[in-house]
This record gives sequence, structure tokens and C-alpha cells, in this order.
Amino acid sequence: MLTEPQIAILQAVVNVVIPPDDFPGGWEAGVGDYLFRQFERDLKDLVSVYQHGLLAIDAEARAISGNTFADLTPNAQEALLLRIEQGTVQTVWPLEPAPFFALLVEHCAEGFYSDPDNGGNRGSVAWKMIGFEVTG
Amino acid sequence: MTDYDVIVVGSGAGGGVAAGVLAEAGKKVLLLERERALSFADVGRDHLRNQRLSQYGHNAGPDIDGNPRTDEEGHTIRPHEPGYQNNAATVGGGTRVYAGQAWRFMPQDFRMASIYGVPAGSSLADWPIGYEDLAPYYERAEWEIGVSGDHQTMTHLPAYAKPYPMPALTLARKSVVHRYGLQQLGWQDLRIPRLINSIPYNGRPACVHCQHCVGFACPVDAKNGTHNTMIERALASGNCTLRPEVMVRRLKVDAGGHVTGVSTIDSTGRERDFSATVIVLSCSAVETARLLINSATPQEPYGIGNNCDQVGRHLQGHYYPGAVGLFEEEMYDGIGPGAAVATCKFNHNNSGIVGGGMLTDDDIVLPIIFWKRALPPDLPKWGHANKRFMRENYRRVSDVRGPVQEIPSPDGRVTIDPQVRDRYGIPVAHLSGTTHPETVRVARFMNERAKEWLMASGAVKVWGDEPELRLSGGQHQAGTCRMGDDPQMSVVDKWCKVHYHDNLFIADGSVHVTNGGFNPVLTIMALAWRTAENIANTW
Repeated sequence: MLTEPQIAILQAVVNVVIPPDDFPGGWEAGVGDYLFRQFERDLKDLVSVYQHGLLAIDAEARAISGNTFADLTPNAQEALLLRIEQGTVQTVWPLEPAPFFALLVEHCAEGFYSDPDNGGNRGSVAWKMIGFEVTG
Repeated sequence: MTDYDVIVVGSGAGGGVAAGVLAEAGKKVLLLERERALSFADVGRDHLRNQRLSQYGHNAGPDIDGNPRTDEEGHTIRPHEPGYQNNAATVGGGTRVYAGQAWRFMPQDFRMASIYGVPAGSSLADWPIGYEDLAPYYERAEWEIGVSGDHQTMTHLPAYAKPYPMPALTLARKSVVHRYGLQQLGWQDLRIPRLINSIPYNGRPACVHCQHCVGFACPVDAKNGTHNTMIERALASGNCTLRPEVMVRRLKVDAGGHVTGVSTIDSTGRERDFSATVIVLSCSAVETARLLINSATPQEPYGIGNNCDQVGRHLQGHYYPGAVGLFEEEMYDGIGPGAAVATCKFNHNNSGIVGGGMLTDDDIVLPIIFWKRALPPDLPKWGHANKRFMRENYRRVSDVRGPVQEIPSPDGRVTIDPQVRDRYGIPVAHLSGTTHPETVRVARFMNERAKEWLMASGAVKVWGDEPELRLSGGQHQAGTCRMGDDPQMSVVDKWCKVHYHDNLFIADGSVHVTNGGFNPVLTIMALAWRTAENIANTW
């Protein structure tokens, strides 16, 4: 399982991937809960990938700005993740940045848009946002 | 003296129909299914584990552990992973969770080689039977299993002797718009026939238009699979024993190589043999081929029915080309199943390609599937722009797509991997090769027709994927035990009896020589009906 500092990085990243606007951001909507559940099931083998990847994101933030990722402004966070998405990083990563980030984005969307029984999409908030209603 | 008159292996579209017809004809039938029966609650509504998106598993079998296959790169693939070519495994097979598009193949689909010639490297061939042979059985399936539709719109087919027993389903808002698009183009505009009740039928209610049709079980039992029609009738006859969670390891033969029964193992590990006068295989294209090959005998050392190296070849399914369109108005109104209008204008008579395919609007696309598969390629995958697009356009995006008639290759095939065993210790299926490149050309052609349709319906932007050459099978898998008059070039004869055997039949998509540009289930049902009726009349 992730450590508290790793969870803090994850929370900040999730909220850039699915940012709050007049609907909740990814974290408030339960993406973290989805991931924690999956880390014990289907994504069990990826826990250490997440740990390394999240720490690398934070190290990248510190190298560039002297701040932790969570302490960057939303614009700076987004700019940093854009560079990571393109694989242009300045620190030495223990894994390939772009594929890790693509995987994380995919998992965030799963937590946000799939059924609430998977642990995310709290109160079907994502479905309400897009206009998907379950009848029958 | 045998235990049963007939053993049917596999309880899907083909096996369910065969068991029902044979049991009602008075035969003592044993129907074997390798997985269990699933209730509505068992199937559930998990958006990440279903037959439409098997990201982390399936809702209708097979179990993701203990049922591997292998590919030619040496990968061991689990059932929910890409390249496995999965079909549901439960009582009713794929019909437990399908959306029941109930198409008849066209007369031309049975004569592909005669009409188009045989592209170099392909194994395109004619069927030994024609549309007229199947038409009466299509009608039986439509009436007895239950299809809703409008036969008068099926102008691409010879006139129906009888209409469908139920009117077509209600059109969702998007289907009304897409029907307008077809009319603008002057393309044929038909109602999709469905194995779904539009009115109460056979003691079960009408569709309630929920959003979880394709890939899930019906909340009110308005979908007509074999599990709630022909298998129920088989059991009600008193002549059929259904045994779920029983895997057939191999066919049993006598010293002369004559098939006498099956050797099984159940989910508790108990091994047991059953004997019968007639054996019917209905395990779907991959597993039927696997069982035949795993049943090698001294007389047929490469597998039963495989002395001419035809078992497992010509594996085909359906490429599903199409395109996605963005509309200014809302297309989505939540009325399921979703797809309702279609055109068969491009199934044949296209210049420069072999065959073609059908196009329909699509069933409701669940939000996470929409996110993974329907977003425009130039949209950022995350951040404000992505979230805003989902919010503003989930209800404004609509796609049209459909199956193309695949041009088979003898190299797209199922063999056995002796190094890898399933949970019962049985060698697993090994998949290799691809479809013929002509299939990709046809898919590309159909992509363009899909875009034309969307634009005519009023789309302000359209996008789609480029098809790539790959092996095709999946839920529409077919072709691995093809039907033919020449035993050198086929596995079964025109009665779906395995060549050189008098009592071994196949009733699933394996026998399809070609797979039509249509969802194949009604053809599997109609052929199984014909095969079973012939068995009942002969034995």
C-alpha cells in the first residue's frame, strides 16, 4: 500500500488529471478509493510502479521548482504533467515516464466514469455530470 | 446400450437449440456446459468486467484463472485479455448477455467465391447450402425463440414467408436522426431485428429499454437467449439433462475410431464418461476445434475430423469498422438497447472490394467505454478539456458501425499448445495467423461509408480508427470446421456431420464457411435447428 506522502502526491496528480470545476475533481469523486481497492485486486502488481512513479513526479517537481508537486500551482502542475506525458523529464526516472502517466490517466478515468460499485464515481457524480442515468 | 441418445457439448446458441429440438423430438439428451448458469445478479452491472469491456474480467465466463490460451509470440493470454478471442461461457453461452441482433445472412453470403472469385492467399469458398435451405429455419428461430422487427424493411432479402412475430423496438432519439440521414442519402433504411421482446411474448414481458443491454443480462427477462427458450423447453420435455460445470476433455472412440461418447471432468475434479449414439459439438469455433484436435486417435492422429488438416483453419469473426460523430443536438436519450436502424446497401455490389458489410447505429455506450473508445483523437486525454468534453458531449456523440464479411485465410487458425494446460490439465488452444488483407480493405471502405452516414445525419465532426491486419474471432467466431461437399477442403458435410463419421455433428459457428456481414447468431440457431431436425429424423 502507498505511504501517506505517496498518497498526498497521488491526490494532487488525480486532481490535475480530473480537475475540480463546478463538478468535483477526481479525488473528491472517489478516484483514490477506486485505486486503493484496485491496489488490492487487479492492480496489485502495479503498486510498486505507482510508488516509484509518484515519487518520480515529486522529484521532478522539486528539481524544477524546489517545491513538492502538491505545492505547485495548478497551472505549474498541469505543465509538469504535460511534459511527463511527452516523456521529457529532467531527473532520472526509475521507470518510463510517459507509459506510467498514460496508465495512471486510464485508471483515473476508470475510477471516475465506471460504476460506483467499483469504489469511485461517488454518488454517481460523473454520470450526473455527463447525463448518464440508469433506469430499469 | 448407451447412457443417452444424444450428447450436446456446449449450451450456447447452437447447443441450446440442438438440445431443445432433439429433446422435443423424444431423444434422451445430455446437455453439457463447462461453466455454471448465471442469474441476473450473478452477471451484475460491472462496467469494467463485462463482455463489452473486459478490462479486469468477465461477467459471463470463463473464469480468468485456469483457462489460458497462447499466441504465436509465446504469450499466455487470459480470457479477458486482448487476443484471447473470448466468447461467454455459461448456460446459454453468449446469448445470456448478447443484445440479440437477429440477422439472416443474404443469399449472396453463401456464394462468395462464385460471385467474387477467390483472392490470392485466401480460402474464400461457397457454402454447400444456400439461403433457400436455411430460410425455413430462420423463420422457425424467429418465431419460436422470438424476434422483433419489420420484415417489410428487409428489402435486401428475398420476401419473407411470414413476418416477424413482434413489431420492431421503439426508436431512440438518435435512431430517428440516423434514419433521417439514411433517407437523405437514399440508402436502404431498415429496422434491426432483435431477439428481444417488443411486446410480451412466450410468457415473458417486453423490453424496458434499460441502458445495460449489450454485454449484460436483462433485468426483466425480455431478451431471448437459449437459456430461457430452447433449453427451458428441452428441460420441460423431460428428455434433457443439463449438467453445468462439466468440461469435456476428449471424445471417446472405440477401437475402430468410431465416436462413442465423451470423457469429462467437473468443477469438483470428478472424472466421468458418458456414452451416446450421437454426439453434437457446440463449443464455438475455438473450443470445438480444440476438442476435436485434443481427441486424436490412431485413425485420426491430428484430431478427429482432421485428416485433411482443415480443423481449426479459416478462423474468422468480424471486423467492426465505423465512425463516431459529434452533433449539435443531443442524440442520447437513454432509450436502450440503442441500435435500431441499419442499412445493408453495402453488403454486396461494391466496386473494387470483395463483399462488404452492414452498418447500424450503436447500442448505448457506457461512460467508461465511451471515454476509452469514442473520444476524438485530437482531444487531450486528461485535464479540463477532457472533462469538459465528456460533460458537454456524452449525449451529443453518436457512432455508426457494423460487421464486415471477413475474407478468411487458412493461416488464421486454432491449434493446440501441448506445453500449456488449463485448470483441468487439458492442452489449451493456440491462436495464430491473421485474417486475409482483403478484410482490412473492406473495413476501410466501410469506415468511409460510416462517415458519410454520420455527415448526412447532421454530424459536425466525425472521426474513427484505421483498421489493422490481425487475427479475428471473438464473440462472432466462426469458420474452424467449415462445411463442404469435398472432404479434402472441409470438416463437415452439408448436414454438419463430420466427414467419415456417421454420428458426430457440429452445431455452432465453426461450420460457417463465411460469416456474412452480419451478427451470426440467428444463422447459428437456424443451422443448429436444421442439423438437429435431421438428426432426429435419421437416428
